[in-house]
Amino acid sequence: MTSSAPDIRIENLTIGYGGKPIIEDINATLPGGGVSVILGGSGCGKSTLLKNILKLNPAMGGSVYLGKHNIFTLKKKAFSCLKQRIGVLFQDGALLGALNLFDNVALPLREHTKLKPAEIAEVVKAKLSLVGLEKFVDYFPNELSGGMRKRAGLARAMVMDPDILFCDEPTSGLDPINSAELDELLLELKKRFEMTIVVVSHDLASMQAIADYVLVLGKGKTLFNGSKESLMATDDVYLRQFLDRKGEKRESSRITMPHLDPSVMRMDCNKLLGDLDNN
Amino acid sequence: MPQSVPEKTIMQPFAFLGKVSLNILGEAGAICIFLFEAILHVFSSLGIFTKTIKELYFIGVRSITVISLIGLFTGMVVGLQTYYALSKFGSEGFLGAAVALSLVRELGPVLTAIMLTGRAGSSMTAEIGVMRISEQIDALELMDINPMSYLVSPKLLASLISFPILTALFDLIGIAGGYLSGVALLGGNSGVYFHRVCTSLSWEDISAGFTKSIVFAVVVCIVCCFQGYFTHFRKDGKGAEGVSQATTTAVVMSCVMVLVTDYILTSLLFQ
Ligand SMILES: Nc1ncnc2c1ncn2[C@@H]1O[C@H](COP(=O)(O)OP(=O)(O)OP(=O)(O)O)[C@@H](O)[C@H]1O
Ligand SMILES: [Mg+2]
Repeated sequence: MTSSAPDIRIENLTIGYGGKPIIEDINATLPGGGVSVILGGSGCGKSTLLKNILKLNPAMGGSVYLGKHNIFTLKKKAFSCLKQRIGVLFQDGALLGALNLFDNVALPLREHTKLKPAEIAEVVKAKLSLVGLEKFVDYFPNELSGGMRKRAGLARAMVMDPDILFCDEPTSGLDPINSAELDELLLELKKRFEMTIVVVSHDLASMQAIADYVLVLGKGKTLFNGSKESLMATDDVYLRQFLDRKGEKRESSRITMPHLDPSVMRMDCNKLLGDLDNN
Repeated sequence: MPQSVPEKTIMQPFAFLGKVSLNILGEAGAICIFLFEAILHVFSSLGIFTKTIKELYFIGVRSITVISLIGLFTGMVVGLQTYYALSKFGSEGFLGAAVALSLVRELGPVLTAIMLTGRAGSSMTAEIGVMRISEQIDALELMDINPMSYLVSPKLLASLISFPILTALFDLIGIAGGYLSGVALLGGNSGVYFHRVCTSLSWEDISAGFTKSIVFAVVVCIVCCFQGYFTHFRKDGKGAEGVSQATTTAVVMSCVMVLVTDYILTSLLFQ
């Protein structure tokens, strides 16, 4: 891509919690103006990587460059400015529970811009209608469903028209129609605003639809980084398993326990219910 | 090695003491830094006044009823007890002085602070703690909204305004309560009661009471916000349990700190 959108360069990054590394030595360049998808099994450290890139958790080693800035050595003020150019969707939305949907989305605008309330309202309505939530402006986050919270989180992440957009599993918890629409929305954002978009996901269909670049994590290391096409052509065993949606091959059945004996139950439900069959 | 065993058991209490004091010192230092940052952000944050007004409503306005009730009954009890004690020496006339001085100097600021710890402080801890464990504070930070200036500084400012006012309300209603029990119920002289109130109270008493309430505002607010803000570092509980532990710690610690600083302030202010 030849655009002004910043690359994200990750060099020798080691991530972990409390001195225990989870993934070591990550090297990757997520291309500016494109969509990068970070794939990996559940619990392999995708969200942790995101938090490290955004300096929410201290990294255990290595460096991360957004454009030409090393974010670990960047001055506080400069990092503040950088943060205003970044939008982040958290895995569970992380909306402020005390504010309704409108105020949640309006918050960054109110804090960082000189826009008048009427202009703010206009922008917020526009962003909320992008994710199909324009009718829910005065709902509070705990009155929304999980998928709606996620979409609202995306609206908030987009409200400042950031240069870089990070999304932690935007499509998990959404139905196929909504996920497809969200994928299209991300592609449109990329095309119209040349945003650098980083999506964490384990949704293969969504990855197929949007990815320019893929980073696969697992087993405590980087398993793959490169274009989507070269990933689809790979013959690495684990990656193929992942891509073909196959479980681990096993000789014998995994279930080895005997069936739970009804006589160990504390309450004698057999007497009350009888057998749970049709007659 | 057999020789090292007795040495170890002898040293153990000292090691324990050392560890405990280091922990306490570390925590005290962290709270001081937290306070410093909160004060810094009072001056540097935009729109702090609208947020402060919201907090004032919660900390101040909604505490009026409970503070009035506590003030009334505290005043009545003090009136009753002092009346019985004074009547043994036939000096019921000093009832007004005794009630006013004990309320304005001690009971007003201390009981207001302890009541507000329970009513407002605990909810500050719980609110900030829940925001911490549900990543809302991380989200604020990434939106480049400083969580200190968004959450803590308005609470500090609102506490600084509402604690002295509520203390004054407590004192006033308490004195009326003393009148109710000592004069209206037990039949003391009403004119003498108010004369004693007026002549016994000096400006030093009143300003000392206010000084105390301002210090308590800082102590309660900062201790409670601190416990909530660092819920995720707790070792005694994670998630919802961490928040509940943080709230308990915050309330206990605030009350103890209020009484400790009360002793220190009393010995400094009334020399
Ligand atoms: N606060 C924490 N302290 C210690 N370990 C943690 C913490 N948060 C997560 N972990 C561990 O880090 C590992 C990676 O977690 P992470 O949330 O990054 O997974 P993930 O790849 O995002 O998974 P998912 O796809 O299910 O969201 C997990 O093994 C988890 O147990
Ligand atoms: Mg995750």
